[in-house]
Amino acid sequence: MQGTPGGGTRPGPSPVDRRTLLVFSFILAAALGQMNFTGDQVLRVLAKDEKQLSLLGDLEGLKPQKVDFWRGPARPSLPVDMRVPFSELKDIKAYLESHGLAYSIMIKDIQVLLDEERQAMAKSRRLERSTNSFSYSSYHTLEEIYSWIDNFVMEHSDIVSKIQIGNSFENQSILVLKFSTGGSRHPAIWIDTGIHSREWITHATGIWTANKIVSDYGKDRVLTDILNAMDIFIELVTNPDGFAFTHSMNRLWRKNKSIRPGIFCIGVDLNRNWKSGFGGNGSNSNPCSETYHGPSPQSEPEVAAIVNFITAHGNFKALISIHSYSQMLMYPYGRSLDPVSNQRELYDLAKDAVEALYKVHGIEYIFGSISTTLYVASGITVDWAYDSGIKYAFSFELRDTGQYGFLLPATQIIPTAQETWMALRTIMEHTLNHPY
Amino acid sequence: MQPRRQRLPAPWSGPRGPRPTAPLLALLLLLAPVAAPAGSGDPDDPGQPQDAGVPRRLLQQAARAALHFFNFRSGSPSALRVLAEVQEGRAWSLLQEGEGRLGKCSARVFFKNQKPRPTINVTCTRLIEKKKRQQEDYLLYKQMKQLKNPLEIVSIPDNHGHIDPSLRLIWDLAFLGSSYVMWEMTTQVSHYYLAQLTSVRQWKTNDDTIDFDYTVLLHELSTQEIIPCRIHLVWYPGKPLKVKYHCQELQTPEEASGTEEGSAVVPTELSNF
Repeated sequence: MQGTPGGGTRPGPSPVDRRTLLVFSFILAAALGQMNFTGDQVLRVLAKDEKQLSLLGDLEGLKPQKVDFWRGPARPSLPVDMRVPFSELKDIKAYLESHGLAYSIMIKDIQVLLDEERQAMAKSRRLERSTNSFSYSSYHTLEEIYSWIDNFVMEHSDIVSKIQIGNSFENQSILVLKFSTGGSRHPAIWIDTGIHSREWITHATGIWTANKIVSDYGKDRVLTDILNAMDIFIELVTNPDGFAFTHSMNRLWRKNKSIRPGIFCIGVDLNRNWKSGFGGNGSNSNPCSETYHGPSPQSEPEVAAIVNFITAHGNFKALISIHSYSQMLMYPYGRSLDPVSNQRELYDLAKDAVEALYKVHGIEYIFGSISTTLYVASGITVDWAYDSGIKYAFSFELRDTGQYGFLLPATQIIPTAQETWMALRTIMEHTLNHPY
Repeated sequence: MQPRRQRLPAPWSGPRGPRPTAPLLALLLLLAPVAAPAGSGDPDDPGQPQDAGVPRRLLQQAARAALHFFNFRSGSPSALRVLAEVQEGRAWSLLQEGEGRLGKCSARVFFKNQKPRPTINVTCTRLIEKKKRQQEDYLLYKQMKQLKNPLEIVSIPDNHGHIDPSLRLIWDLAFLGSSYVMWEMTTQVSHYYLAQLTSVRQWKTNDDTIDFDYTVLLHELSTQEIIPCRIHLVWYPGKPLKVKYHCQELQTPEEASGTEEGSAVVPTELSNF
């Protein structure tokens, strides 16, 4: 599935209830002589007090009927969901706005949703699993993750879609999840996991995070505000070939699997292949090295795909690249000891994020610029992002600090993801509140 | 939660009087060019002085090197220690494996200008009595003698990070031997972690020793390289640990032989075995 389907969020009722309601509405509409819901929207209204609540109640009593309540006015604390026919949209929205009633568009076009649901129902009869049976506390293969992606997108198609941004060297699709509540080219946040294939905790954290986002939308005020104004993009398997290799042959493989004529060692370090200080200190020109930067900047399809996507989009405001291990949160530069121009802001933000992380399970992270915290490294993702104008560029090194290293036990997946989420949320909130 | 400001270790003054300052100077000099330490001071807050302390990362690495040495020297698989936290430039708390207790260690680590085998003086608080520790070790020894089919072991931990409880003994002993190797190879820029035990070549239990020949993968942080090492240790509770080892070299493009693995290591003759 490409692009964003009709925006809006999943309403309160479960899929079954919603379908029942839709079917009921359909029958009712059929009875009233209407067969088509094209352009009809479902609005969610939050009444601040009893007065506003009664204003909504007034709508209910209008003849001829202008709105159809799915979730009627009950108490000020509960949202009110109402279906508004396309022909009445303008009037109803004007009414709401003039009375200061806050609303959001839950379903932008009911007909589109009906069509999709029909397709989805047909499809789910064929599929064997839903994401309910997917274990978030286990490590998974590439096939399992890609299958999960398809299920996930289908189950949350109101805010999630799947985009293919390119192909890996071995011609595997490179997939990105887009989380969006609509709008055209909202400012965006990028998160990538798995650029180094042996860092399994990162893919697992990314998957959990994706699920967290859809679960918390509409419930967590901060996340809801973020997603109402911005889009989030997550690339879960940034190095699919390397990842497959960690399952089949070499659990500690780091690079991609690119092969070049006359060169007998395989693979380029995807986090040294970016066009920012390419070839400098902290990268290696020896193709057999784990930090081999490749023949030229962006020579690797996995890197080029991201560069092209982010550049074409043109409106990314934050980029977060997730690695393991060391328990660190860092910002540019990696290529030199020079501080970036907003170093103070990034320092303070990293400090806040690390504190939020610590509060979850007491895990300590150190933070600072990459070159002073970890080591000098050239041609890295976050340096490129920063040089491309993305002011909030961060790199995580997740658990642990060496006891298990890359072979982090699966029992630590969920705790790691939970704490990392709080740091991500802190960064995203700051990005939201500091537009540029 | 903000990491405490790190202080430099005071010049060492042992029972024989002040140590020669040359090694300590080397440590200070080599660390001087490092910029604002990570997370341990404000980078440009006029209210606080520029922190000239040792970067937290280096302290952690030095602490780990010291623990490698400590573990090797104690020769005790039942009393292995891992780093919990560096509290300040001089002391750190640690976790005793299996017991889950927190103790304190302090050490001085002298790196000599890119050379390996840092000189280490380390003392740790005693968490269990020496006698009890020896008893624990002897129990482990007896359990090890009863292990079935250790030669069939493929990897510990497995690829999902799991260590079967029945294999814990082998892991602990392997970790002990690896500690020696990692300490010996550590330099100011090279820092090692034990990633995985990959095979058991020999496991001989005699009346007075355990003869353990195995291979591991070490992870070196600054180059990100995975280094296969073959380690041969001889252990008996209460006796000093004997270790021989050979680790593989980084492969140059010319030496590469087109293997699918493609990792930067080349098989070499293990000449000292």
